[in-house]
Parts: sequence; structure tokens; C-alpha cells
Amino acid sequence: MRIVLDKDKCSSLGMCESVAPDFFEVGDDGELNIVDSTPPSDKRALIEEAVAACPTSALSIED
Amino acid sequence: MTAVADSRESRPYDPADLSSRAFWSQTAAEREETFAVLRAERPVSWHQPVEEMLIEDPNDQGFWAVVRHADLVEVTKRHQDFLSGEGIVMESIPQELLDAGQGFIALDPPRHTKVRRLLSSAFTPKQIARINDQIQANAKRIVDDIAGKGEVDFVTEVAALVPMHNICDMLGIDEDDRRKMSYESQFAGGWNDPELMGDQEPLPRLFEAMGYLGELAGKYIEERRANPGNDLISSLVQAEVEGEHLTDDEIISFFGLLTVAGNDTTRQSTSHAMKALTDFPDQRAWLTEDLDGRLPTAVEEMVRWATPIMTFRRTAARDCELNGQQITEGDKVVMFYASANWDTEVFEHPERFDLSRDPNPHVSFGGGGIHHCLGNQLARQQLRAVWHQLLTRLPDIEASGEPSYAIGTFFHGVNHLPVRFTPER
Repeated sequence: MRIVLDKDKCSSLGMCESVAPDFFEVGDDGELNIVDSTPPSDKRALIEEAVAACPTSALSIED
Repeated sequence: MTAVADSRESRPYDPADLSSRAFWSQTAAEREETFAVLRAERPVSWHQPVEEMLIEDPNDQGFWAVVRHADLVEVTKRHQDFLSGEGIVMESIPQELLDAGQGFIALDPPRHTKVRRLLSSAFTPKQIARINDQIQANAKRIVDDIAGKGEVDFVTEVAALVPMHNICDMLGIDEDDRRKMSYESQFAGGWNDPELMGDQEPLPRLFEAMGYLGELAGKYIEERRANPGNDLISSLVQAEVEGEHLTDDEIISFFGLLTVAGNDTTRQSTSHAMKALTDFPDQRAWLTEDLDGRLPTAVEEMVRWATPIMTFRRTAARDCELNGQQITEGDKVVMFYASANWDTEVFEHPERFDLSRDPNPHVSFGGGGIHHCLGNQLARQQLRAVWHQLLTRLPDIEASGEPSYAIGTFFHGVNHLPVRFTPER
């Protein structure tokens, strides 16, 4: 599983970070960093929730 | 039959009334009767222009009303079809006010994307966590000030002060400027409200309010440019978009947006929640059984119940379709958030204030998309903080009379709500 970010869509709101702070982080410069883009498979439900929380559909999961 | 778009001039109006002052003077429960019919029978319908506009607009023939949850979410996400740049309230607004007060909320990409990111850094989960101590301290200070009184006006002495202090802390506004700034911000959405307006003319008063906020912002911009601090105005003064600093007018416009959006939303959510906690004692009992454990879920329902912003408008960028209706370029398209938050396709028994509701996909912070509420985490944190303080220290606080509601098409405003409680010893 790999987390994919579309930077053009991201508005850096940090909804993903509020769901899964170990994997997403909006920096003080306002840019979203994916802390770990290949999370272990037991985190799938959490990552799916974080991806779904994105209001601009900037995140997706690739298998 | 082929779908041919009627021109705006000849398109027939829906019989349901969403445009009159009488409709917007009703309670939320009364308005919901109209929304329920539209959601069931005519989910995208064409209506007469709003009564008592701010300005005469000969090009305004009416608006489309979007009342279902699914359609509202779709409009929000189709930001290329439905633009914000021509205004985000139902009424037509003079361009100079649009420029002055709506900040990036009334911008479209690509500019929106760039300027919004500048502000994002002040509202990230990490940043909100960093200022959490301040948010808690503000909640404590507000409750300290009323705790001995036993009876207060909840709106002016609690609900209005929570966001006022938090937003002013973020912007770095001096104590002396706070109350007037918060008061003036109300005119941005309150020009229809007789209590706020008295005998003042809406348009000149609105200009006066925006003029005041502009001057205040100007004073702080100058000060922080010479002497930068840790606050948001200092960050904006120093920020660059594509190698260029923001102009003073742009910063003033953000200042206006943050002041209005920051003050008049959390104020309403807190006030409506106070009323609901009085009206639904079983819900209050459930919440206080495990206050800190249950507040995060409960806050979502408070925000759904309040729906502090009732409408946002878009303008069609091109001819397109929305749930079977042909929309014409230039048409106003208005989303009705209270209606979407009561949509029985999504919410079971929406008329019940159910603090354990989960999931709770309310649209009070928006239906997703690029304009989703920047302050949503701040709002949630503030509501958790103030309700923690109130319900632990003044556990029997309750509404002791009826609230007086503001009249308007935008904010679901509460002007006053008397409460009583056993004074803290």
C-alpha cells in the first residue's frame, strides 16, 4: 500500500493529520508532508479514513 | 422532451418561498418545513431574488436552491462549474465590499490555492494543539468572570467572547480593541437584523463597519511590519506569494474574513448548544457521564444542530447540469446548509439532538472541496474547551428564557439567551 498525494489539489487543511498524525503532517510552511508513504497493512483502515477525510480528494491509495 | 435551458428572464419561479423577509424571520424549525418539501419533491429549484437586497441589481433574476445533502456536496466539489469570485452570500454585494471583506473565501483557483496556503499554517492540527493552552485559558477566564453571577446573557458574556479572544490572540490584537472589533464584525452578516441595525441604513453601516475593520487592520499591519511578533498578522506581512509580498489591501481582506468567520460562527454554535442542552436533558445527562471522553463526538452534533452558516452562494461559470436541472452561465446557485443537515437520506431523526450521533457527516464546515472551513479544528477545540469549563464548574447552567434570534439569510444568529445557574463558591 502506498499513499499518493496530488499537490495541486491539496489545500493543507490537515484533516488527514487529525485522523492519522503518524503518517501525515502539515509543516509550518503550509506544505503537507507524508511522513510514511508506505504504511504497514494493519494501518489500512486508518489510512483509508484519513484519505476519505480529505475535502479536496488530494489523497489516494495505490496497491 | 429535450432539456433546453430557460433564460433567466423567462424561467418560472418555484412556488415555495425562500426569498421573503418573512421566510427568514421564521425559526429554523419552521424553515425546515419548506426545505422538507423541496428536498422530497424539487431538490434543485429556481426562486425569486431575495427581498430587501443591499443594492438594486438589475441583472439579478433569482437563484437556484440546492437543498439535498448529496447535491450540496456536489456543488461544493465542482468549483470549476460553480464559482465563488462573484460573491458568496445570496444578495448581490457591491464589488468594493466583496474585495474588502470576503478574503480568499470569494476567490477562485489559482489565486485561491496560493493565498489559502499562506493561512493554512496558522490552522494546522499541530498549530491548534500548540495554542491549546491559550484556548483553555480563555475558556477558563470567561467562566471565571460569570461564575459568581448566577444569571447572565449567555450570548454576550460567554458565546461571543470565546471566539473573540481566541481569534484576537491568533491575530495579536490588543485587549482594548477586541470588543469593538467583535461588535463591528457582526454587520458583515447582520444587515437584515432589526436589533443590530436599529434605524441605521444597511449599506452605509456595512461600509462603516468594513471601514473600521480596515483601519484597525492597517494599524496592526504597520506596527507588525516594523516590529514582527509570533502572530498571524506578522506572518502575513512577511509572507510571499510567487516572490511577491501581499499588499496591504490583501492582508486587510484576510483580516476581515478571519474576524467575521472567526467570531460569528463559534458564537452561534455555542449559543444554540446551550439552548439544546436545556431542551434535551437526557442528552446532557449522557454527555456529563463521561464529559471529556464524549465531548469530541458531542461537538459534532452541536455544530450540526446549530448550522451557524445557513447559506453560501456560487455563480455558474458555464451552462451545466445539476441533478437534472439545466443551469445557465451566470446563474446564482445557493446551497442551504440547514436543509442538508436535516436530510433524512443521511441523518436518522435529524430533529433529535443526539450527542452520540456517529458517524455525523454534517456540512456545517462545508461539503468538502477547496473552500472547506479553514477554522474547523479551531472551532472544535474551542467548543470542547468552553463546554468542559461550563459543565464541570456550572453543572446546572440552563436557559432561563427564550433566545432572541437574529434575522438574516447568512448567519443562524442568536442575539441573546438568558441563562441561570448556581453561582460557584
